[in-house]
Order: sequence, then structure tokens, then C-alpha cells
Amino acid sequence: MLALWSLRSRKFDRPFLDPSIDLETILVKTSNGGGGRKGVSGYRGRGISRRSMIRSGLAAVLGAPLAGRLSATTVFGPFFRGPVRQDQIVLGVSAAFSGPSRALGTELYRGSMAYFNQVNENGGVNGRRVVLKLLDDGYQPDPCVANTIELMQDESVFLLFNYVGTPTVTRALPVLKKFRDQQFYLFFPFTGAEPQREPPYGEYAFNLRASYRQETAGLVNNFLDIGRRRVAVFYQNDAYGRSGWAGVREALAAHGETIAGEATYTRGTQFGTSMRAAVEILQSRSPDAVICIGAYQACAAFARDAEILGLHIPVANVSFVGSENLLGLMRENHEDPDSHTRWLVNSQVVPSYEDVSLPAVREYHDAMERYNPPPPTTGQVDRIAEGEPYETVPRSFVSLEGFVNAKMITEIIRRMGDRPERSGIEEAVFQVRNYDLGVGERVRYGPNRRQGLQTVYYTVPEGDRFVALDDWEARFGLS
Amino acid sequence: MRPGTGKHADELTVRKLFRKTRFGFFSLFAVVVLAISALSIRTVSRELRDEYISNSESIAKNIADSSVDILLNRNLATLQSLIDQFVQIQSIRYIYITSDTGEFLAHTFVPGIPEQILASDPTATEPVDRSIAGMGDFVEVGSPILSGVAGTVHVGMDLETLGLKIRRAMGQQIALLCIILVVGVLASIWLVNLASKPLTDLLGYVAQLARARAGDESPDEAVLVRDDEVGDMARLIRFAAAPPEDSGERAGSRG
Repeated sequence: MLALWSLRSRKFDRPFLDPSIDLETILVKTSNGGGGRKGVSGYRGRGISRRSMIRSGLAAVLGAPLAGRLSATTVFGPFFRGPVRQDQIVLGVSAAFSGPSRALGTELYRGSMAYFNQVNENGGVNGRRVVLKLLDDGYQPDPCVANTIELMQDESVFLLFNYVGTPTVTRALPVLKKFRDQQFYLFFPFTGAEPQREPPYGEYAFNLRASYRQETAGLVNNFLDIGRRRVAVFYQNDAYGRSGWAGVREALAAHGETIAGEATYTRGTQFGTSMRAAVEILQSRSPDAVICIGAYQACAAFARDAEILGLHIPVANVSFVGSENLLGLMRENHEDPDSHTRWLVNSQVVPSYEDVSLPAVREYHDAMERYNPPPPTTGQVDRIAEGEPYETVPRSFVSLEGFVNAKMITEIIRRMGDRPERSGIEEAVFQVRNYDLGVGERVRYGPNRRQGLQTVYYTVPEGDRFVALDDWEARFGLS
Repeated sequence: MRPGTGKHADELTVRKLFRKTRFGFFSLFAVVVLAISALSIRTVSRELRDEYISNSESIAKNIADSSVDILLNRNLATLQSLIDQFVQIQSIRYIYITSDTGEFLAHTFVPGIPEQILASDPTATEPVDRSIAGMGDFVEVGSPILSGVAGTVHVGMDLETLGLKIRRAMGQQIALLCIILVVGVLASIWLVNLASKPLTDLLGYVAQLARARAGDESPDEAVLVRDDEVGDMARLIRFAAAPPEDSGERAGSRG
């Protein structure tokens, strides 16, 4: 048995000999082809496998040097169901690491890893290293559902974290409800949609960021304040787009207005696609402003074609868009890139990453500079197409959000003490009543408050970055 | 030598006599095939369309029933997610949900809601055929949500897909009927040939008899032993063709 163990250890440990592989990420592929263990086991005291018990015993027998190495560096094969380990805490992630929206999943991951690397370097949370188990859903609902089931069937996964997107999260929520007796919670999904904030699924998720309803209400109110009353919507034709559309509709209704016009696009649309038809539909309604509820590729294509077709009105985007990626696309191959971005205004749910007066932003700068987490590679997460290199963004709103998400979840786990159990998660979150995350707004949770932050920030492009918008009238006034 | 297979017999076949019979067979088969085809086309078309509409109504009702709580909770993202799942079903091309006031609460149109849909009655639930520019032809059905007080679900089914299904079903039926027609025609040819063979033999015998009188050859008399009408006719012809004295002798010997 000792010989078998040695063989197995060598096999599993080998990838860690490659320094390019992130030690804090359990390397897994997507759920496609992954076998499933029946049932979902609890995190502690339940479902500890014979394998993990044998491994723990052997680790003790083999002595400190080897045991230490094993515990610090064990990596699991693609379909390995991880055991519960006392020296780490595993967060399950299903996000877009491939496809047209992969920048969102990747930058969110990078921001979180910058913080977790720092935490782990300093001994982890209550002695446990924070580890992410990554599954790629490509921003598609069905893979996200399969990934969620796989994560929940893995007894090593403590909670779900950093999911990306409304259409994906909306479909994953019923899975959480189905397995509610296992007390799995989804923390800080990268979406401001309502389903994870309201019954019947709100009780299975905790949000940190402001909602789309708050973002769109802020945009609408600011447009109305400067006399731009005919507000149109360009949106992704799915749950995400509908969520934003509903927010705009509700905000306008509060002022006795209705949506002036609407156009849609299909999820996954690339920047190279013509948005002429959508622009023409909105042009025919003579709007004063357009609010886009979409991802960066399609929204950049829309803003580009709006400029080309002479629709010179403010084009607003909500936080999910991925501001830096959008700006990068719009500035590409333009002699005078600023002229193409003059009408952009983006709402954000974290403060500007340039605002170093905020402690969290300073920490973010330091951590990103120090660790500069690489994006997950083909070997780490399946279905990232070969020959499609991703160029990381040094700093972005998305990675800053990932960073504060990681900071907040670390604090919650810390509050759970040395022996965290899923049954204690909710109580630990509700203990957060006035926590200073360092973003200028204190975080507060409670049984009727499952969203930690409420502030929405507004930004406009200045060169190749977004800066705070202080004067709406001066920038977008009608006069 | 078999009757009718002697010298020159192959030149004497019965062709004209059964030409009309063959033509009659062909015509009858063609009429039957055409009639069955027409009937099945009509039946298949009508039944598939009815089934199509029935399925659409079931889907619309299903969405309507599922939408009640979602609508009452104002959860339009979930509503959109719901209809997005249904629109993945083959042949459903669009779904839209209108409120009791006619407002479009969720839909699947890209890049926008067609003018024809915008101009239609948002509370209508009866099946209606639509031809939408740039999209195609559809049959649209509706189902009220909470008896209409919460809105209406509309489902558009692609008539192109329906047409394809109908054409496929008709194609299969017509192919079968064509096979039956070809087999029937071949069988009728064989049967007519079978029926005409004794006549061919008789014709051959008569021809040989005529040549025997000219002293060319003696006739093959195998046909005379047949106990059917052809045999009777061959014997009568031989009797009629014999010289008078032979006829008298034969008559005397019989008497």
C-alpha cells in the first residue's frame, strides 16, 4: 500500500514541479465527462472518504517533511473528488474562462487570486489555505448547471464563489435550492440581477455588489436630471439583459416615463458583428440616451456602429460590461480613439481602481503588482481554445471586484473560526454588520439584507482608462 | 415442340388485344395512387398542423402556468430565463409575454420586436398565421396568464419547419405509393402476358395450319389437346380448315 501511495503521490504531485502552475488552484476540467458521485456531503465530519483517511494517516506516518509537502501541494486530476482537508478551504467557481466573455471570468479570478495569494502566503485563514476549484461554463447556462452539481457533489468544496453572469446564475440557483439541506451558498456572483436577491432563491446567495436595479436607476436618474428623458435600452436578449431592462423600466416609471425604444442582441455576439440593425431601430425612436445591458464585445460593437451611424447620444453601460475590455476594443485601430469613446459612460459597483485614497484600492495595487496572477491556462480549465491567448489587463474594475470579493469571503471564513461548517455560514455572514472593507462604504449583512454594498459609481473614458464622472451636465448636457 | 414455339411463332404474339387492358390497368393504378396521395397529403397536412398548434398551445399554457408566481414577484429575469429555455425547442421561433395592459414584458426577438407583432392584439389567444418580414412564416398561439389578468403568453411556431415535416411525411407516403404503382404495373404486365399466352399459342397454331395447307410444314398439334377454350377453338379451326370430305368423315366417325 505504501508503494501504491508513493506512485499516486508522484503522479499527482508532478504538475506542481512546473512553477507556472498556480499552487492555489485545484486544476480541474469542465463537468463534461466528469463522473458524478451520488449525493452531496457536508463539509466537516460528514463524507470523509476512506481515501482521505488513509492519506491523512500515511501523511502522519511518513513524517513531517513529506507530509508537509503533500499537504501543501497536492493536486487533483481532472475528475478527482477532493477530500476534506484540515489545512485548506476550497471554494467552487463556475465562470466564463472561455468564449466572448472570458475576460470577465478571468479578470475576476485574477483579482481574487491576488488577494488569496497574499492570504495564503501569510498562513491562510485560521491556518487554512484558500483554494479555488475552477470549472469553465463559457457563460452558458447549461454547463453552469452541470458545473454547480459537480461542485456540490465534491465533498471538498465548502461554498460556491465568484460565479459570472445572470443567465448562468439564474439557472444555478434552483440547484442550490434542490440541495438546500446541504447548506451550500453562492457568494458574490458577478451579476447585479434580482433572482439571487429575491424569493424564492435569495436565501441561497449572498451578494456584495450593488444590483442592476440600483445601477440602472442611477443612470436613469442622472439622465433625467440633465433633461435626457427619452431613454432607450440595448440589451442582451437573456436573463441578464431582461434584468437590466426591468431596472430601466422601473426607474423611468418612477418618473412617469417609459422606455423610448429597445433593441437586442444574442448572447455571445462578437465585436466584429454589425449592430447596424439595432442602432437603426433605436435611431427611429429618437432617444436622448441609450443604456446598454450587455457584455463588452457586443456593447463595443453597438457603440462603434452608433458613432458611425451618427447616433450621437450618451451610451451607458452597467458594471458587468467589463469597462477596460470594452474601451480596449473601441480604441483599437483608431487614429483618434477618443472621438469614438466620447459618448460612453459606465456605471461601476466598486470605486475607481485609480482612487488610491481608499485602503482596499492600495492593497489591490500592491497585490496585483506583487502576484500579477496569470489567467487560468488550457491545462487548468478546459475549453479555452488553443491559439486564443488572453492578454491580461493590469488593473480593472472587474479584477478590483474580484479582489474585494476575496477580501470579504476571507473575513467571513475567518469569523467562522478553526472548524468552519456550512451550517455556520449564514450566522457568520450576519455577524458582518459594520465591516470596513476599505472601499469607502461599510459592509452590512442581515437576514433581510443579503447585499453588502449599495454604492454605484459613474465613470467616463479618459484616454485608455475610466475616470470618475463628476459633472453630468457638463459632459452630457443637452445645451 | 411446344405450341406456338415453332418456326415463325415468335412473330405472332398478341399485342393489340391487351393494349387497352394494360392501359386500363395503368390508368387505374395511377388514379388510385393519385387519389391516395391527395388524400394523405390533405390528412397529413391537416393533422400535422393541428398537432403543431396543439403542441404550441400546450407550451404556451405551460409557460403561462409557470409564469404566475414569477410575474407576481416582478422577477422578469427569471421569466426571460424561462422562455429562453422553451425557445430552444425545435420549431419554436419566438415567445413573447405581454402584460394585461399590453406591455411586452419578455421576448426572444433579436434585434427588436417586429412591427407586425407590436401592432397585434396582445390579448389574442386564437391561432393566427403570421408572415414576418425577414423572419418567415409562423403560426402563433396564445395562452392567458391567470385568465388574462396577469398577461398573455404568445408562442410562434415556424411554419417552415412544419412545411418541412409535412413535405417529409408526404414524400415518404408518395414514395411508398410509387413503389406500389411500379410493382402493380409490372405485375399487370406479367398477368396480361400470362393471360395472352394461350391466345399466342392458338395464333401460332393457326399460322402453322395455314402453312401446312401450303405444304410448307406440318402443324404442331399440341394445342389441340388443351381442355380449355383455346383448345376448343383450335379444334374448331382445324375442323373448319379441313377439306369438306375430311369434314364429312369426321362428322360420320363422330356420329
